[in-house]
Amino acid sequence: MEFKEVIGRRRSIRYFQSWRPVEREKIQIMLEAARLASCAVNATFMRAIVVVRDDLDRATLDALKTPVSGLNIELAPVHIYIYVDMGAYVGAQARLKKLVDVGALNSTHGWSHKFVDDFVWPNILKPLADNPGRSSVGAASDAGIATCQAMLAAVDEGLGVCLSAFVAEPLKKILNPPADWIPLWVLLVGYPAESWEAGGQRPRPPMEEQFFEGKYGNPFKPDPKVVEKLKAAKMIQAPAPLPWRKEEIKALARMFGLPE
Amino acid sequence: MSALQKPLESHESVRTWFKGLREQSGIEPTDDPARLKLLGEFCALVELDPDEVVKACLLVKEGRETRISIKGRRSMAEKIAEFQALGSADDSRNRAKRGNTIRSFLIHNGIQLQAGVQI
Repeated sequence: MEFKEVIGRRRSIRYFQSWRPVEREKIQIMLEAARLASCAVNATFMRAIVVVRDDLDRATLDALKTPVSGLNIELAPVHIYIYVDMGAYVGAQARLKKLVDVGALNSTHGWSHKFVDDFVWPNILKPLADNPGRSSVGAASDAGIATCQAMLAAVDEGLGVCLSAFVAEPLKKILNPPADWIPLWVLLVGYPAESWEAGGQRPRPPMEEQFFEGKYGNPFKPDPKVVEKLKAAKMIQAPAPLPWRKEEIKALARMFGLPE
Repeated sequence: MSALQKPLESHESVRTWFKGLREQSGIEPTDDPARLKLLGEFCALVELDPDEVVKACLLVKEGRETRISIKGRRSMAEKIAEFQALGSADDSRNRAKRGNTIRSFLIHNGIQLQAGVQI
């Protein structure tokens, strides 16, 4: 699938084919996409534990459910529990120097081993490593970027994905994450039981409300020609609700025995 | 001021520069004698030896990690720009080389500098 179409087709899928397993290969592709994501100071903050839903006992599965995400958790055959590892700063000094060695951070931009050793590490990274709470926003942002790449890779593989909050406590004994990992999201994965359109592209605020040009208050006005180009590339798609969406929901409700 | 009391190559900062060029930039520094010549000229301009040029960009406080001094670095960047402007008026590459040689010296001594495109 072309990149723009992958972006256009991504939806938060909330009805999964609960009976259909997801190939391990496709999960690996998602994780590889996450692993290659951009990350500050080459510290990979995202950590993830892949769990096959049916490997969880009923009591644990029930304990994971929240009022908002309980059904999604029940239906998705694969759960990827995503954490932020604040310990990722450890080793960042060596990783940054490796970026110098491989020609990613260069003297053209002022980078050198000595800059990393004498200034970046002791003055910036070490204090963050020693006080993880100070840097959690940036670390969570990086984990989010990596998660996004995993989601897009899943869509490219024909899977449906949905990010949800999760209750970390019941999973501690089972997943055994290190104490300093911060729970972020569970990425629910499976084959969609709803159509891939899932009722159409979700409503978003107009570009002019979200983005500005030059300064705040001066809206970034989209060029209609670019909009048409993105429609042709299937990045911008028919907006929700598609005319048949309500009928689809009724059918899904009947199939899964859900309230209408 | 102790500018050029001893050969440039004997200064720790020059050895660090050359090591960085060899190991991180893949450049043999002695292939171009202009490097040391320009550094010598710069040191004469600012009346500091190479180690002192680096030190002038640092903020050293007892009990704290040494930092790059914002003021010191800015001041040195201005001196480098001044040194660069002394190059041949009709040869922008030559002028850029003057400044970038000194910037390279500082960068490999840990003083992060970005001067943008110079030609």
